[in-house]
Amino acid sequence: MNLRDNDDRTVAAGEYVLGTLGADERREFERSLAQDAALQAEVYAWQDRLLPLAVRAVPHEPMSEGWTAIEARLDQRDAAPGEHLAQQDHGAIPANDPLWRRLRRWQTIAGSAIAASIVLATLLLLRGPALQNERYLAVLQAPSDNAAGWVVEITAGQQLQLRPVGAATPVPAGSALQFWTKTVSATSPTSLGLVTAGQITELPVSRLPALEAQQLFELTLEPATGSPIGRPTGPILYVGRTVRL
Amino acid sequence: MNTIASDFDHEAAVEACARGERFALRAIYEHESRWLLAVAQRIVRDRETARDVVQDAFLQIWQRASTYQRAFGSARGWIYTVVRHRALDVARKAGREVTTGDDFDVLADANALSNSPHPDHDADASSLRRCLETLDEQRRDCVMLAFIEGYTQDEIARKLSAPIGTVKSWIRRGLLALKECLS
Repeated sequence: MNLRDNDDRTVAAGEYVLGTLGADERREFERSLAQDAALQAEVYAWQDRLLPLAVRAVPHEPMSEGWTAIEARLDQRDAAPGEHLAQQDHGAIPANDPLWRRLRRWQTIAGSAIAASIVLATLLLLRGPALQNERYLAVLQAPSDNAAGWVVEITAGQQLQLRPVGAATPVPAGSALQFWTKTVSATSPTSLGLVTAGQITELPVSRLPALEAQQLFELTLEPATGSPIGRPTGPILYVGRTVRL
Repeated sequence: MNTIASDFDHEAAVEACARGERFALRAIYEHESRWLLAVAQRIVRDRETARDVVQDAFLQIWQRASTYQRAFGSARGWIYTVVRHRALDVARKAGREVTTGDDFDVLADANALSNSPHPDHDADASSLRRCLETLDEQRRDCVMLAFIEGYTQDEIARKLSAPIGTVKSWIRRGLLALKECLS
């Protein structure tokens, strides 16, 4: 596939979106696409140019099982990491596939400060020498009783994962959990967005103001749309500092 | 018509999916699934299969959300592409039959572009419609058959009783003319 000429690139991207490329051409195009941001921009442009043709479809009635079926498959996927659709996809990057689903088993015992230290120790043991990037871990505990509620694991330059380990945090109606971080030298925390109780949150590390040992992470209870003033207004539900692994 | 707010933030929702926030995937589902189902069914020609396509596609949206790039284009266009591509994969694996002849309900669709609009439907639709109308008939047919019915070049050639080389050329010229007209 010739992708040097501008018209050729436009046509290839348009055909990719339309779906008229043959199987081989499509694979070849996707290989180029993965390393060619300008070509990705062409693809997005075609997606948007042709979108009105898609959304003009006569809407169908909602599916009977609908969302429930999708949610069940997400749960299934969480229970069996690595076994999912991405394997059939050409060049798809499987995100949202945390390595450490196996930590689930700790949820039943992670109800105390002792459990928090077990989680920490276990994570330290689980780390193999194969991991090149710096990693940080923080166990977030409730100030009231030191119960471990969440674990933050961060790989430098990659992802931050916030994972619930205790019983799901109760969140009153009309409120939300907001996730914050504060570096040792910072004067105020930085919001990392709202999170859902009982669910894993992943963020690119680039969202953090910095990454260091002893960095503070906390979850506070805020209005449903988050703190209106950009810093915590509600009680701290869980808090902890990073250790470098 | 139900009353879904028309200011749904698709970009924020896909980015929230990338952070593992399931409620965002559910919000996308609730906002778009009825239209996505229609798009998929047009390609796979079967309601049950279309339902499976949409479910598969939502898992793909979840997995690939971190690859979405706001700077390049809308999250909505990205979502429809994921679903259409999944439907195309399924249709092609199944070796779907192409009916020949000139019963172009597709062309009626081109004219009906503004009927039954999604609540988020906007001015882009009329620009696209106007530009499609300026294309030569065969070029427009190629683009419509590919996009709406999910036909391959071979299938379009059979449908239009034209050599495949000619179809390739029609698609090429059609796409270039559309881009020019919409720019």
